[in-house]
This record gives sequence, structure tokens and C-alpha cells, in this order.
Amino acid sequence: MADEKKEVKPKKRMTATQAAASIGPMVKEFITGTLRARAEGKQKIAYTFIVCHHEEIFRAMDVVPVWTENFAGICGAKRDAERFLQRAESLGLSRSLCTYALCGIGFDQWREELGQMPPDAPWGGQVRPDFMISSGQILCDPRSKWYQASQQFMPDVPIYNIDLPYPLFQRDRDHRDVWDYYHQYIVKQLRGLVTFLEEQTKKKMDYDRLRELVDLSDRTWNLIEETYDLRKAVPCPMGTGDAMNTMVPINFMMATQQAYDFFVNLKKELEEKIAKGEGEVENEKYRLMWGGGLPAWFALTDFNYFNSKGASFPVETTYRMVAPLNQMDIPETKDPIEHLAWRWLGYWTFWYDKAKKRPGSEPDVERLINRIEEYKIDGVVMHEAFSCRTWHVGLIWQLHQLAKIYKPIPVFVTGKGGKKEKIYRELPSLILESDIIDITSYSEVDTKNKIDAFIETLESIRLNRAA
Amino acid sequence: MSETQSNIFNKIENDYKDYGFRAKELAKEGKKLIGHVCSFVPLEIITAAGCLPFRVRGDIHEPITKGDALLETIVCPYYRSVFDLSVKGKYDFLSGLVIPHGCDSMVRSYSAWSYSLPYSYFHFLNIPTVCVESSFEFFNAELNTFRRSLEKFVGRTITDHDLVQAIRIYNETRDRVRALYNLRKIDPPLLSGKELTMALTVGSSLPVDEFNALLDQVLAEVDRRGQSHLKKGPRILIDGACIDNIELINLVEELGGHVVADTICNGARDYFPRTDEGGNPIEALGRRYLDKVNCPKTYRENKTGTFEGDIASRFGDIGTYAKEFKVNGAILYVYKYCDPFGFEVPARKAYYQSINVPLLHLEDVYSAGTMGQLRTRIQAFLEMIG
Repeated sequence: MADEKKEVKPKKRMTATQAAASIGPMVKEFITGTLRARAEGKQKIAYTFIVCHHEEIFRAMDVVPVWTENFAGICGAKRDAERFLQRAESLGLSRSLCTYALCGIGFDQWREELGQMPPDAPWGGQVRPDFMISSGQILCDPRSKWYQASQQFMPDVPIYNIDLPYPLFQRDRDHRDVWDYYHQYIVKQLRGLVTFLEEQTKKKMDYDRLRELVDLSDRTWNLIEETYDLRKAVPCPMGTGDAMNTMVPINFMMATQQAYDFFVNLKKELEEKIAKGEGEVENEKYRLMWGGGLPAWFALTDFNYFNSKGASFPVETTYRMVAPLNQMDIPETKDPIEHLAWRWLGYWTFWYDKAKKRPGSEPDVERLINRIEEYKIDGVVMHEAFSCRTWHVGLIWQLHQLAKIYKPIPVFVTGKGGKKEKIYRELPSLILESDIIDITSYSEVDTKNKIDAFIETLESIRLNRAA
Repeated sequence: MSETQSNIFNKIENDYKDYGFRAKELAKEGKKLIGHVCSFVPLEIITAAGCLPFRVRGDIHEPITKGDALLETIVCPYYRSVFDLSVKGKYDFLSGLVIPHGCDSMVRSYSAWSYSLPYSYFHFLNIPTVCVESSFEFFNAELNTFRRSLEKFVGRTITDHDLVQAIRIYNETRDRVRALYNLRKIDPPLLSGKELTMALTVGSSLPVDEFNALLDQVLAEVDRRGQSHLKKGPRILIDGACIDNIELINLVEELGGHVVADTICNGARDYFPRTDEGGNPIEALGRRYLDKVNCPKTYRENKTGTFEGDIASRFGDIGTYAKEFKVNGAILYVYKYCDPFGFEVPARKAYYQSINVPLLHLEDVYSAGTMGQLRTRIQAFLEMIG
């Protein structure tokens, strides 16, 4: 049977920082940790999703989270997702749907059919949960459908679905006009989660502990901002390739001392590299931004290919799921649940005010513009993963809007002393196409050809500017 | 068939082909037309504001060109087609557009719509994903925000009385549509699926009172038929999202089947649930649009603890229609890249099996180009169940 076959082991991506290199064993540990927790039977185990601002609640209740997107990503990175995707397809699920979810559902169905882990399951496999916390957010349909589909094979495992909306950006509206009732709703949803977990764990929430964990997360958020800001240095000490590793503590380990300590160490490492003038690449020629899209987890070595051409990635929008709390206009509160709800709203509306001030801008576009300027970016790379609408629909339009600002012609601006200056604001972009974990969508040759052509464009712009 | 009898369906067919003909006339007269897409948009509020709701449609015969320059091809193909027609200017007579949180394709493309089209009014309506007390409170607040934004746009207050009147008239539409569906309970049906779908599609481009008058004429004409002019054949239920082009239904009927029931957005999903009358109108609308519109986008908790109980609760309406309309088979028609429906396919398949209704599952891309392949598969299915 085709689904018994594993794919060829991928090449390992070279990292620029020690911190990024330490991530692999860390991820392996929390996968094996869930297996250990299941064997010991002392803690409840829950499937759940990243970016829900609920980690603090989980950890305060001693619930072990199983990040199902993470497990699917590991299957992809190990080039061992295909057999699970095929399982899902055999159930009637289309390959055009979120492949993280397909991988997870295929795995669950197989595990439940066997009554044990599928053969050679990556890193021991994804453990059977006690319950599942899904999330009907404004930005991802599969998050509220995935566990419902998995429940077909484990109907005894209950689901709690948290609804976490935020006001969508509308140019002519002030989101603050509506966010009180958004906040009230999110608070009720999070309190509902607490009640559900109390019922499942037979324990009461310790609100002092929760408050401490929320404070720890907040400090980690600010520390991440400070750390990532160091990548503005020229040459850039750490690129997006590494950030696809360091996203792990941001997205899977928030509200832990380990995540905080990780960024203390990363910050120190980056400061040392900057002091020594060490960059991600030896001779940095081009500074690129990963401007959108989840990566192809099976092809992270493509970042090394960019690096080999002198291209560094000082910044990315993907997985930088934090924003400086001190710049958020959110009310003070001593109630940790209320704070989580405000932080949620503050994060998603972070760019709204700035976007309104610039004609033609919009929060996602505004974020790109700010990053381009702050990190001195020469070009934008995006990845269109065919199976994910959540993070990928809208990218073409964002580039379209960006092209109105960064034109491929010299632009005259008023410079110092009121004199007109001719500047070149051309910003080429590249869209790579494949998927998050479905390797059948990927062509290494085509990808490298596209990168080569893009680098040639960057070089020609560089030479023109120099001339 | 008398001249009067054929006239109404001729008119419907003409209006179907020249979709928006009447709306353009009304726009020229100075009426404000508000476009909408998806069953989650409360048309009653638009009507209560003195505007005319207009359902923007796609076209399976029109190749997607301009739209692809602004939107990814991984967007729901139906929605892509609607966007493509819009940026090509087909709906430039509209004054505004309302997009709800119906799916990721709608949410993630909202900026592309609102920056690319020349309408003076845009509104995004957030729809909760769950049906619990707090989500109804939130949704009612969202409906009031929508109400206020329309008030600002039209420059007048929308009173509760306006809403009550609008609720009443839309319920009258729903009653008439239900009466039309009932005509298909007879074997062979008195009204074909093609006729019904064309009438409902045309209706979604008309002011509600004109739609009601149109439905009265259709009911009267079918009544005059006395008995069906159709031959007996397999009775089919179509299960899926929005099917606003008649080709699929036509295909089934050309091959000898009859589409007698459906769950589609511009069919039973939209028209069967009534809004409660007599109470607070916003709360009644909140209840209807969030709870009664049975869309897979809304997560419904499994309260039974069993898979069988869960699917019976989520898809019970299908079983009811299957019985009421005595269906012999069903076609589950799902668009590629549709996450809300796509993830339900295994559960829906299991449900059809549990109620002993043979099922054909089709994944399609909203294009006339696939009709040849669909013909072969539908023909084989009809032969199998026939």
C-alpha cells in the first residue's frame, strides 16, 4: 500500500545562530513529552492551535497542549506527510483543503484504526488527546472544522470551540467604536474555556498562577520584539530561515520560563554577532523580506540557497505573532482573562491607525511598508501555499498595493533643505509556489530557477543605483 | 401551454440571462442597491434602510481574467468568479457591498474588494462561529453596528418598525418559496429544478415586493398546469453551497432525473428558515441568521457523545428533506478549495449511508468546462439508482 512508504530523508538546513540550531531537540522533546504524559496519565492532554492567546490558561491548569499544526509541520519537514495525506484523501477529503488538517486527520484515523501509533510515526507520533480545543477565529476555517472531522474517529473526545473574533479593518471606521463588545465576547469565550478545563481536569483555576503566567508572556512578547529588532543591523545576524526555527518558542512555548530564557540567550547571541560584524551571510548583498506565506517545511534549505547568492532575510511577517505591548492602546486591567482578550484585540488591530493615515494602505500592507523601511529591504519574497487560504489569500493584492509606492522608476522627493532629490524606490518581488507540507506541489528546479532570476533582477537594480 | 403560462417563465429566463437588468433600471432611478454575497447577510436590515439588496452572482461561462491579477487562484472558485465579474464592472451600478464572515475566502479578500471596486459603501459583518448565549449577544451587537452604518450611509434612522415590516415581507417570500418547493413533492414534480433555480436566482436581484409578485405568478402558472408535464425519473437532492448557475441542475434533468430538493445557499438554506415575529427584531434576526441558517461554517457542538448522534443533529435537515421529497439519490456538490464544506465530506457521506440515500460526491471548479466530465458521472449515477 502506497501509504506505508516513507519519503527520502531531507537535507538539514544550515542555521546562522546557535539558538536556532537548538530548536530541533526542543521540539522533539515536547512531542516525546506528550507521549510521556500519556503513559504517566497524571495530566490531561489537549489538541489545540497556535495563536489563540490561551496558552496561559492551559499552563495554569497543567494541561499538556498538543499543537497539531506543529505535528503536521514536523511530518512535512521530515518529508513523511504523504502517507497521512493519502489516508485523508481516501476518506473523501480533497487535497485542496488545508494539508496540516489533512495530515492530522489522516494520522488520527490511522492511529484509531490500529489502536496504536501508525508504523514509524514521526518522533513517536501524535498522542490521543483527552479533549480538543478548536478555534473559530476570523481568519481560519479549518481550525473549527479539523477536530470536528477527527471526532468521527474518536467521538468520545469532546471539543470546546473558542470563538476569537476581531474587528476587521474598514478604512472609514474606528475599530474602537466596536471593540468593547468584541472584548466582552472574547472574555466570555475564554471564561468558557476555563470552565470546560475545570470540568475536564476536575481542578479549579488558580488565578494567581494565571496572572503570573500572563505577566511572563507579556515580558516574553516585549523581549521578542527587542530581540528581533536587532536584526535591523547590517549585516543581518539572523535570517528568516532561522526565524522558522525560533518561531517555536513564540508559538508553542509561550507562558513558559523556557521561552523567556530562550530569547534572553538569542538576544545575547545576536548582540555578540553584531559586535563582531557577523552576518547571516558572509558578504551581504541583498536584504530581503519574507513578506507573507507559511514556509514549505520540506524545503527550508531554499533559505540556504538564497544565502549562497548573498541574500539575507532580516525580517518576516510570518510567525512573528507578537507586537510591542507598550505601543498598544489597550486598557489596564488586573483580571488576567480580560487582559488576554485586550491583548488579542491589540495584536490584531496593531497596524490599523497607521494604515488609515496612508492613502491606499491597509494593515497588512502597512506592516510590510514599515518593515521595508526599518530593515532596509531590497526585495520581497512571498510563498503561496496552495492549500491554505488563511495566510495566503490577499498576498497578491498586497504586492499590488506595494507596487504603487515602490515604483520601478526614479521618484522625486523633497529632501534636506527643501531640495528635490531623485530616489530609486523600486522593490522587486518574488512569489514562490508550493505548499506547507504537500511535497508533490514542489519543484526544486523551478524554485531555484525563480530564485536565480530574482537575484539577477536585484543585481541589476543594485548596479543601476550604483551608476 | 398558454401564452400567459409561458410568459412568466420566458420572462424569468430572460432576466436570468440578463442578470441585474431590473436592478440597473432601479439604480438609474436613483435607488441605492447594496450587493451581498452569502446567506449570512440579513437582507431585512438593508431593506429596512430603504436600499435594495442585490445578490452578486458568478458566471461559469466567463473565464476569470482580471480577477486573477488581484486574487489568488486558491480562493473558492465561485467567489473568484463573482470577484472577477465585479472588477470587470458588471456590478458597477451598485452603491455598496456587504461581505460577511462566511469563509476564509471572504474574510481574506475583503481588502481586495473594498479597494478595487468603485462603491461608496462597504461593510464587513462578523459572524460568530459558535451558537451559544454569548455569541448571540455578540452577533446582535454586530447587527446593530451594521444597522448604524447603513443609517449613516442613507442618512436616516432604521426604526424597529422598519425592521418588523421587512421581517414580515421576507417571511412572506419564504412562505411562497416553500409553497413552490412543495410542488416538487408530487411525482413527477409540477415544477422542474431548472425552473425553480432560475426563478430564485432572478428573485435575488429584485426588490422583495417584486420578487413576491413574481413568485405569485409562478405559483399561479404552475397551478394552472394541473398536472406535471415531466416524465417520471430519479428524484435527486442537491447538497452543497451556492449554485447560482443552472447548468448542473439542467444536466441532471436532461439525463432524466429531477432535482426535487436541495440544501443550497440560494435554495433551502436561504429560504426555509423564517424569522420569528413579535419580539425584538434584531434578536429575531440574530437567531435566524446565526442558528437557523445551517451552514458548515458554524460549529455545532456534538452533544450526543456519538458520531451517529452528531451527524444526525448536524445534517438532520437533509434527512427530513429526503423523506418529504421522496428522494432516490443525492449529489454532494462541493467546490474545490471550500474548507467549510470540504471538511464535512466524510461525515456527510456517512450520514447519507445512515439514511440509505445513495450519494454521488462531486468536487468542481465552477466552470462550464467541467460539465462534460460531470455528465458522464451523473449519467452513471442516475442509471445506478434508476
